[in-house]
Amino acid sequence: MAADPKAPAATEYPPELSRLPPGRHGLPREFVVHNQRERLIAGLAEAVAENGYASTTIAHITRHAAVSRRTFYEHFSSKDECFVCAYETVMEQLRERVAAAYEQQEEWPRAVRAGIAAMLGFLAAEPNLARLSMVEALVAGPVVVERYDAAIRGLVPYLEAGREGRSPEVLERLSPTTEEALVGGIVSLISRRIIAGQTAELEGLLPDLTEFALTPYLGTAEAARVAQNS
Amino acid sequence: MRPPPGRQQLSREFITQHQRARIIAALAEETVARGYRAVTVADIVRRAGIARNTFYENFSSKQDCFLATQDYAVQEALRRVVEAATTVESWQERVDAGLAAFLAYVASDPALARTCIVEALSAGPASLARYEESLQSFIPLFRIGRKVSKRGEELPETLEETIVGGIFWVIYQRIIRGETERIERLLPELVEFALTPYIGAEAAKRAVA
Repeated sequence: MAADPKAPAATEYPPELSRLPPGRHGLPREFVVHNQRERLIAGLAEAVAENGYASTTIAHITRHAAVSRRTFYEHFSSKDECFVCAYETVMEQLRERVAAAYEQQEEWPRAVRAGIAAMLGFLAAEPNLARLSMVEALVAGPVVVERYDAAIRGLVPYLEAGREGRSPEVLERLSPTTEEALVGGIVSLISRRIIAGQTAELEGLLPDLTEFALTPYLGTAEAARVAQNS
Repeated sequence: MRPPPGRQQLSREFITQHQRARIIAALAEETVARGYRAVTVADIVRRAGIARNTFYENFSSKQDCFLATQDYAVQEALRRVVEAATTVESWQERVDAGLAAFLAYVASDPALARTCIVEALSAGPASLARYEESLQSFIPLFRIGRKVSKRGEELPETLEETIVGGIFWVIYQRIIRGETERIERLLPELVEFALTPYIGAEAAKRAVA
């Protein structure tokens, strides 16, 4: 899935509507407002990918979004506020994709694999949003870092579900920090690849990450079998 | 009488090292107190009890000083880990001893630990990149486990990166929750987490016990 870097991210409108022509277009105001907001979010993601969060200015954002400065301030009071909104929008989409992929599978090991695949697929297809959510979020100040931490902790229950139905011996072995360490390891590897500019190759990590996530519950051999089975 | 030239040179080197260590400690304390962005060179200088000139003789900027602090902490941590790991024979024991030394170091200097494990992530792109590089230096200790493992080279290529990343994430979480002084209690869980992919959960549990 190659991403078109010019495509406005995070929008479900058909491409011909995603950039509104200037002047009177007769579209309902609510639609325009919504669309402007999404354009600003996509504009911020592009500007941040290009300049890094600290160097990004409101002028960069409005240029990428093709809206006026005044429009920016109708929606957001500051760059920080726009970033938080962008971050929440991206994470909401990521959460939805992961949840939907996970829930489609009957068996837990396959559900974990599907969830990881959905996450990698989303990030690989949206390099700007990947960078924004996994790298720039950390640099954007304490408010976003708290949200980032919470978002990662939000992945823990998907793995915890794997404790259900395990034998007493396995349950006794699993330590309370198992899921935390697994989730941290997965996210850390993804971030490192994004920092190294390898976002497009993220989906290649699926077998490795699946095996890593499942090993404590299923043992290495079974975890590897699920990981390799496409 | 002037001291002989040899001695004077030695002491100058000593003074420089001592100054750098004081500045690094001051930066860590100020960073924890104010957050990286708010810290100024003036704050660091005041806390270290040195002249502003002395700061600039050692570092070109706050960022330069921050990166040097990260390097210092990683080198010191690695030194302790390697030293501890070489006192024991088997790979399993080495992981245990190395991680124990690492956690002890974190607990012994909470300000430096917070600066390098928490604040470094949000102190700008250069620090974040340095942080990611520093995780790499712990990989060889774990990678030796492939020789012990039945699955050896079949193991995921990225396994060591995810193990190190997972361990750092757990430590990060404890630090932000203010549980740094109890961090050594995590040792058995983290050793088990690291050993399991190589030797299986049962053997890992036995190694910890």
